[in-house]
Amino acid sequence: MAEYFVARGLTIPQELSQNPLTNWRRLLVIATSILVIYTGLRVTDIDTSRANPEFAYNLVLQLFNWDFRLLTPQNEFETFWDTVEGLMIITIFLGIIASAIAVVIALPLSFFGARNIMTGHPVTTTIYTVIRLMFTIIRSIDVLIVVIVAAVLLGIGSAAGVFALAFHNIGVLGKLYSEAIEGIDHGPIEAITATGANRFQVIWTAVVPQIVNPFISFTIYRLDANVRLAPILGLVGGGGIGFILFQKINLFQYGGAGLIIFFIVVTVAAMDFFSAQVRKRLI
Amino acid sequence: MAPILSLKDLVKVYPSGTRALDGITLDIQPGEFLVLIGLSGSGKSTLLRCINRLIEPSSGTVVFEGADVTAARGAELRRIRRRIGMIFQQFNLVRRTSVFSNVLSGRLGYRSTWRTIASRPSGGDVSAVFENLGRVGIVDKAFARADALSGGQQQRVGIARALMQRPEVMLADEPVASLDPATSHSVMKYLEEINKKDGITVICSLHFLSLARRYGTRVVALKGGRVAFDGKPAEIDERRFKEIYGEDAIEVEIGPERSQPQPMSATEAALRAMADDTGHGAPPEIRPDG
Ligand SMILES: Nc1ncnc2c1ncn2[C@@H]1O[C@H](COP(=O)(O)OP(=O)(O)O)[C@@H](O)[C@H]1O
Ligand SMILES: [Mg+2]
Repeated sequence: MAEYFVARGLTIPQELSQNPLTNWRRLLVIATSILVIYTGLRVTDIDTSRANPEFAYNLVLQLFNWDFRLLTPQNEFETFWDTVEGLMIITIFLGIIASAIAVVIALPLSFFGARNIMTGHPVTTTIYTVIRLMFTIIRSIDVLIVVIVAAVLLGIGSAAGVFALAFHNIGVLGKLYSEAIEGIDHGPIEAITATGANRFQVIWTAVVPQIVNPFISFTIYRLDANVRLAPILGLVGGGGIGFILFQKINLFQYGGAGLIIFFIVVTVAAMDFFSAQVRKRLI
Repeated sequence: MAPILSLKDLVKVYPSGTRALDGITLDIQPGEFLVLIGLSGSGKSTLLRCINRLIEPSSGTVVFEGADVTAARGAELRRIRRRIGMIFQQFNLVRRTSVFSNVLSGRLGYRSTWRTIASRPSGGDVSAVFENLGRVGIVDKAFARADALSGGQQQRVGIARALMQRPEVMLADEPVASLDPATSHSVMKYLEEINKKDGITVICSLHFLSLARRYGTRVVALKGGRVAFDGKPAEIDERRFKEIYGEDAIEVEIGPERSQPQPMSATEAALRAMADDTGHGAPPEIRPDG
């Protein structure tokens, strides 16, 4: 192993003589992991003895015993928008509207949150720091928490759901956009500045062409995530199909709940596929 | 004759504390083909960028045709910049857009912001794009994407973009350092042509002394941010060469001028790799003895 160094009378590098079995760092990591998992199992008391297999089996069967009445309006007070497919469409649009609001706000802000655009002056550097801090704070508040607060402020329903999703996504998209701007090639900025172009022309000509594709890609990625999140938000007061799902479960109408879950799964899978296809083409 | 550019006591200290320029005083005459040489880190790029204020000098003045560049602000600075073209080692094209848009962008200093957004170039600007692409021999590539072009072609787009400014001075920061020797000569010949035919003053930094001898009418060598030599290319003898590049340096020839690009040999590839400005190793013309 160390022949090269021995033959030349050189000191053998430490890296060569290390034995993984006596590497105390490695042993410490393994020991800590075991300890954490062991403590976790003791503390959480994961107990499956109270589960009733027979009841669970029956429930699963009911979930697949779809209640197809949900597909059509059931009385003169109901319209298409009260059916499962109508509610699904509403929920998809909830995600779309929330994404659109987030894009409109995050897009201009992201330029102020990009270090390479904002350096050079104490004032602009301060704006940069504030914007980035804001993105980070907004992003770190989970959507579920925002929607609960929004449901209290705005009342249970679509408004709360859209507001919460949009709010959270300003933080997420803002950060993604800003980082995309920071990742661009600086060369063209230099070259366009040298032609005598003003700051706006420089951004328009040298920055924008470099960020359209990443921006579209991030937007679709978030749109996908939002359509996925929208039904969940309904469960905690955000309106849309999730709210009805919540009702059905509370009323023990598992046949209806199963059908709704099926619709959600299909929609999410379709969004996922669509989003992946589009983003693949943008690379 | 009055100098077209006059640099006086130019100093640049980077925030890191590096004194990249340490009192540069130079008068540049109209029509000169001035070649800047010097080791990597000697301050060539900094000097070129201080001329059009892509980099803000710490002190000293740059006067361009009687106008104080260092004191100019806002629109005034932009009007000066549009009279000074610039090309770069990495070409600095907007890679995703067409050659046409790239060349057209050379005209931005003359266009309103509104025209930029609406992308409504004037008829005159459009003809000028083809005119200038024709001069560098790549009209047929006008609607190709910039990043689909070879390095030499991209640099020619860079030249065409700068020509759109109808510049009086052309700054070139190691324009051929990313190109193989044959392509290097073809690009240098375009610079020579605009210098001779259009009378555009060229200030060009180069890695290879052989290119400096071949194209320069005047050579300025920088060493540690100061002018170490200023004179005719022929005046650089063995002794001066060692002063500029250090005792261990050996001058090597860059490949012969060829009209057709040849496949790169291993040596050329190595030269090219060394010529890359990002490394801080020995520059390509310098090899330790033995
Ligand atoms: N942005 C920068 N910040 C700090 N130091 C820099 C910067 N750019 C260049 N320098 C330093 O300034 C000196 C001159 O660099 P440069 O002008 O790029 O030289 P050259 O073009 O001759 O290689 C070098 O020591 C380099 O490390
Ligand atoms: Mg340089």
